Amino acid sequence: MSDSIASDPKRRELEELLPFYANGRIADADKRRVEAALAADAELAARLDLIRDDMAETVLLNESLGAPSHRALEKLMAEIETAAGPAPLLARATDGMGRGFLGWLGSLLAGQPPRRLAYAGVAAAALIAFQGVAITSLALREGGGYQTASAPGARASERYVLLSFAPDAKAGDIASFFKRFDASVVDGPRANGFFKVRVGDASLSAAQVDAIAARMKSETAIVSFVAPSP
Amino acid sequence: MHTESDEDLVKRIASGDRLAMKVLFSRHQVRVYRFVLRLVRDETLAEDVISDVFMDLWRQADRFEARASVSTWLLAIARNKAWSLLRKRRDAELDEDYAESLEDESDGPEIVLQKQDKGLAIRACLQRLSAEHREVIDLVYYHETSVEEVARIVGIPENTVKTRLFHARKKLGEMLKAAGIDRGWP
Repeated sequence: MSDSIASDPKRRELEELLPFYANGRIADADKRRVEAALAADAELAARLDLIRDDMAETVLLNESLGAPSHRALEKLMAEIETAAGPAPLLARATDGMGRGFLGWLGSLLAGQPPRRLAYAGVAAAALIAFQGVAITSLALREGGGYQTASAPGARASERYVLLSFAPDAKAGDIASFFKRFDASVVDGPRANGFFKVRVGDASLSAAQVDAIAARMKSETAIVSFVAPSP
Repeated sequence: MHTESDEDLVKRIASGDRLAMKVLFSRHQVRVYRFVLRLVRDETLAEDVISDVFMDLWRQADRFEARASVSTWLLAIARNKAWSLLRKRRDAELDEDYAESLEDESDGPEIVLQKQDKGLAIRACLQRLSAEHREVIDLVYYHETSVEEVARIVGIPENTVKTRLFHARKKLGEMLKAAGIDRGWP
């Protein structure tokens, strides 16, 4: 069967715009041209119906593929930890003479008497130790070593909720939310965007977990769904 | 309510912010994974690819230019990595006969047709398109990309995007017709 659209350059050009008309990613001027042509060309309109059918099935097919496991994020974060991250801003910063911050620091320290350097060293070491304790107590909930946000697995001796984050939630707010509730992610995100979150140990009653979930749920800027989870 | 844009997150990532990395990953991982999985057809490989994609983002965040969206940038990196894998596996020949001969766990369109489900038959044919056609169909129909974005992701001129998509749609129609579903075109 001959393709009358394909053999007419003007109609063919409009036909090739139909998929982008159907997905809404078309310039306004092209959209108006396509709509005018569709109103007058039944064959073109039929072609758009085919595209919409195929589009719906393509979406269904892709949605059926599920989501990656948390292994992907864990692998990524482990690689980030082992690789050198982006150079810190201080290291990249240069002074007026083209020296990096570390170069500037080196020449500053070179000009100091040894005793002053020793005192400064002790003070810096104390500060670093203090920061280390503070950061470790915040970031590592169980034991030492690196952990991603999703811990290896859930245990029956703990209490959990299932939650999803609001699309507009800011990373900083999510972090302080977890800190406020003394909570941590144990699994997720799952295919539907849900995370399993530990909210306490087995000493919490079901009513207490419900109350925590209700308090969490009230923070609508951060979470969009919260429910107790086994 | 303030939405932290992808571009803002990338700026934070450029300064070494791991939490921003996790947020951006959570935001895009599913779509990038599905795009890659449709090309490489192996879940473990697809997961490895997305880890690599975001690792590239971690390394290159300070070079990100807002000419393209973060999403387009991620899909372009993912596409390059997926095709590189395909080439290594020698699956990447753009020979449709070869692509169609690939084993597929789902029912073939003829079998699906016997089950009287046109939607399933279309999905079975979508699985059997060549990788070159699958990616352009997925980008436009599922990832809702524009002509310009497909051109950037695939690395082809905009006119070629439209022509390739036309041929992918035509091929899909031919496969359905061969399976007994005549939709009037081609």
